[in-house]
Amino acid sequence: MFGRILALIIRYKTISFGSFPRLLSIFYWPSVQILFWGFFSNFLIENNTTPFIGVLSIILSAVVLWDVLFRGQLGLTMSFLEEIWSRNLTNLFITPLREYELVFSLIIISMLRTLIGLTPAIFLANYFFDFHLFELGFYLIFFFFNLIAIGWSIGFVVSGLVLRYGHSFEELAWAIIFILLPFSCVYYPLDSLPFMMQKIAQVFPPVYVFESMRKILIDNQVEFQQLYRIIILNFTYLLLSILFFIKMISSSRKKGLLINQGE
Amino acid sequence: MNSFVVKVSNLVKTFETKKIIKNISFNVNENSVTGVLGKNGAGKTTLLGMLMGLISPSSGNIEILGKNLFFKKNEILKDINFQSPYIDLPKKMTVEQNLFFYSRLYGIKKFKDIIYDLVKKLKMSDLMKKNYGSLSAGQKTKVNLCKALINNPKLLLLDEPTASLDPETSIFIREFLLDYQKKNKSSILITSHNLEEIQSICSKIILLKLGRIASNGNLNELLKTNNYSSLKDFFLGQG
Repeated sequence: MFGRILALIIRYKTISFGSFPRLLSIFYWPSVQILFWGFFSNFLIENNTTPFIGVLSIILSAVVLWDVLFRGQLGLTMSFLEEIWSRNLTNLFITPLREYELVFSLIIISMLRTLIGLTPAIFLANYFFDFHLFELGFYLIFFFFNLIAIGWSIGFVVSGLVLRYGHSFEELAWAIIFILLPFSCVYYPLDSLPFMMQKIAQVFPPVYVFESMRKILIDNQVEFQQLYRIIILNFTYLLLSILFFIKMISSSRKKGLLINQGE
Repeated sequence: MNSFVVKVSNLVKTFETKKIIKNISFNVNENSVTGVLGKNGAGKTTLLGMLMGLISPSSGNIEILGKNLFFKKNEILKDINFQSPYIDLPKKMTVEQNLFFYSRLYGIKKFKDIIYDLVKKLKMSDLMKKNYGSLSAGQKTKVNLCKALINNPKLLLLDEPTASLDPETSIFIREFLLDYQKKNKSSILITSHNLEEIQSICSKIILLKLGRIASNGNLNELLKTNNYSSLKDFFLGQG
């Protein structure tokens, strides 16, 4: 089992980090994001247009944490889509590889890609804006794992859909996260949304992560009920998404889609 | 008494409403080379896909190496392998990285020795550091074949292994496969449109026609019984 998981991680690592342009693409966007939001926040502070001084910390924390979710989803989906693009699915699925081994490998490589992608952004934020992400303390680790888990859930659903229904669903790999963005309340509180949107937002775990983050940074308080809700929602969504992904593999076997699937 | 590496009974595959494989049964002998023939759309690829567990049958039973494919798929997959010119390996990895990757997936210990031995026999040492995507069709076929042999399969499934190859490479691959089969006493199931190739390497053939088995048996006996001098005539007459 570990040998096969290791084999896949080495493969995904070779693809993701094997060439400079690919490596650059992993950490370029988070770094640009952090610089953009950092300078913009500084501008607001310098012009006294913001009512409280912790705004820089809140916005940059939100940028980094949102990117954890985005990178987590993209890292997982892109690694799996690489198998489809390289017409490798047939060879992969005739090995003794089990579905859960593929699931574990995708999760691990997504985690590696996210960590590598975000590290330069965090250093840049520290250098240019004296921003300390670790102000969130232990909760940073909690938020990191929960946000990346949301990314995995979305990644498994998108990968399953592309496998089963074809390339038209590939667009979702980039777009789906931006459908979730307004409901996640990354940069504004939940009660600033219209009532109906609030109800929809409360079904998804990101809103509780970002609400908790703001509560810690502004009031220095933790709402444990929200943290429990994050864990329960995330566990449920992740489990369901993995089951969906495995179901899509099984459905593709019935439809004969694992042969000759490719570009 | 012959023992069988493949036992297929009452196999049916329906896609939506279209029946592709229509209740077929056959066996593949141990230590043999069997050709699966048929025109386009006869069901050859679907049949191979089902034998590898890539396509779920609608009904029927497949036993490979004495084990039921439905219940013991992962055990069976350790001992079989597949090569097709229509299925690629990851293009952005070198040949060496690809072969190491697949060796790990098959759980092969000391795989470097096995790989370099195969690479030497297949005369492809110069390809090892090249990206798979940069290889020619003939080179890709050799690499794919090497991948298909890394787990020393007891059953090797080949889908038109010499398609689009020049005559010299085709002859080399054909002779290599026959030599490999004899030395390892493995079984090969091969589909090909190259009837001369099938006639030269297969002892038994299964002729598929619109999802059914039109003929199945020893090649020489089938030709003799039906008064055909070559497989080409037989195929045109029966297929």
